[in-house]
Amino acid sequence: MIQYLIDGPLWYFSLAVFFIGVVWQLIAVVFTGNKADLSVPRDSAASGAIKTFFSRFVPHREIAPAIMLPVVAGYMFHLGLFALLFFAAPHVVFLEENLLGFGWTPMPHWAFIVAAQFAFFGLIVLWLRRLVNPVSRLISTLDDHIAAILTFVVMLTGCFALLEGSTGLRLLHRFTVELWLIYFPFSALMHTFTFVPSRMLTGAWFGRRGVDA
Amino acid sequence: MLSLVLTLAFGLQLSSADASNIPPQKPNVPDGVSALNPGSDLWREVRRRDGVGEFNEVNQGVLVKDLLSEIQRSRQVPQGISQVNQVDSGVMINAKGRRWAAFRMTTLASYSGIALAAIFVIIITFYVVRGKVPIEGGLSGNMVKRFTDYERITHWTLAVVFLLLAITGLILLLGRPLLIPLFGKEAFALLASASKEGHNLFGPLFLVSLIMMLISFARRNIYEKGDLTWLLKGGGLIGKGHASGGFFNMGEKTWYWMVILIGLVISISGLILVSPNFGQGRLIMELMHIVHAVSAMILIVVSVGHMYLGSIGSEGALEGMKTGYVDINWADAHHDRWGKHCHEEDLIVSAEEYARMQGQPADSAEPAMEQGK
Repeated sequence: MIQYLIDGPLWYFSLAVFFIGVVWQLIAVVFTGNKADLSVPRDSAASGAIKTFFSRFVPHREIAPAIMLPVVAGYMFHLGLFALLFFAAPHVVFLEENLLGFGWTPMPHWAFIVAAQFAFFGLIVLWLRRLVNPVSRLISTLDDHIAAILTFVVMLTGCFALLEGSTGLRLLHRFTVELWLIYFPFSALMHTFTFVPSRMLTGAWFGRRGVDA
Repeated sequence: MLSLVLTLAFGLQLSSADASNIPPQKPNVPDGVSALNPGSDLWREVRRRDGVGEFNEVNQGVLVKDLLSEIQRSRQVPQGISQVNQVDSGVMINAKGRRWAAFRMTTLASYSGIALAAIFVIIITFYVVRGKVPIEGGLSGNMVKRFTDYERITHWTLAVVFLLLAITGLILLLGRPLLIPLFGKEAFALLASASKEGHNLFGPLFLVSLIMMLISFARRNIYEKGDLTWLLKGGGLIGKGHASGGFFNMGEKTWYWMVILIGLVISISGLILVSPNFGQGRLIMELMHIVHAVSAMILIVVSVGHMYLGSIGSEGALEGMKTGYVDINWADAHHDRWGKHCHEEDLIVSAEEYARMQGQPADSAEPAMEQGK
């Protein structure tokens, strides 16, 4: 009964909430609109958008030493999670059989383990920094903590099910993934999609005003 | 059937390799059979070991000594012949494995359980008798910076990874006697499988955190003049008055070096166990398992004491790792030499300033100051 629910209706429900929620949120962002900028443009907004989008991948030289730990941990976590999501062998097979109908070459097992260790280490450090740094602690909301803990739990249940020999552990992992998918569109996890328009909009605004930042 | 045939074939190969082991032929033995009881001789040859102990309690020291001499012996005595060219592929039965299994299932599990229970009993008794150790004069509300964000993140990363490893490790070590009666075999199998995977995955992260810890704190944990006095006063438990301490006192330094050194032993033995493809045989794995488990139990037991003293056992201690700041009265009481340095260098932050830095309204500092009066 539980297996049927997790593999069937709950899976389709969580997918529907995820896709509809993400599209709805992105449309809402697009249609929110901004006040028309009536100032005379000093430079190109488009080049400013592109420049800012890429320049923000590297911390500014002046503040780099102070934020090196969260930057390194951030890269470890995000790259590790990306590799796990799209290149772990069980995920590639799952996506091919259940969603896409085609697959690609997965990572070798050792790379899978290293990616998982990077992701776990990065996430732990980022979450602890959120808790111990007074400024981060002050600007963090309950949603930030739930998003971090939920992502950690999804990864942990995934690592528990690494042997792929137990239905119970596979179901536990899938159930936590479903919770994560349902929570995703209504939380800070949306930054997966919104960081691109957010950065580019700021960059366009800077570019138009000739701000070199 | 096939395996039986192969076993016999393997045994025969070994028997023929060492003619001195063939017993003299008796006259009444039928033609073609070279021994009275060829089965037992073959079996002895296949095992290639004598005097294997029963499945009883085994002394750790004896077992470790035994394993070391066995590793030495295995380098001199040729193994059996096999087409599979791998480590230990020439050993059909590792008879010493039974002694290791006996040690792991009985001695190690029971002593570990007793040690864990004992430390909790000691701490609860201590808390009931002594209670939370207060700061003389109470909290002043005036703070002094003790740890940076980086140092606290390093400490808590190590703590989180250590706890995950300790819990999964204890499930694997003590799960059979403790959890099977509670949850049943099927649920425990699930839990043990999950714990094993989690333990193996998080192990290398412990080593990384340990190296971060070594880099961050080593300099301030070097023993110095005055540390011995702290030890002679039993950290303040013996005699009158507080035991003098610098930034870290003798007890904290000793705990730090225990974590680093025992942690390295645990990490190296763990890496040997988790990567069996670097030429290490069963005997080395058994030895490493004992080293890994015993060192981990020492660290787990002492860490319970550390957690107690760093939280509910001592007033104002947790603040240092929570916010990075400690009350100046706490510093004066527990680390007087460092406290004196803070006074001399004017490093003390007022309660109002501290509240502002923590993003709290200034009046939130008052209760702490009131308490200090």
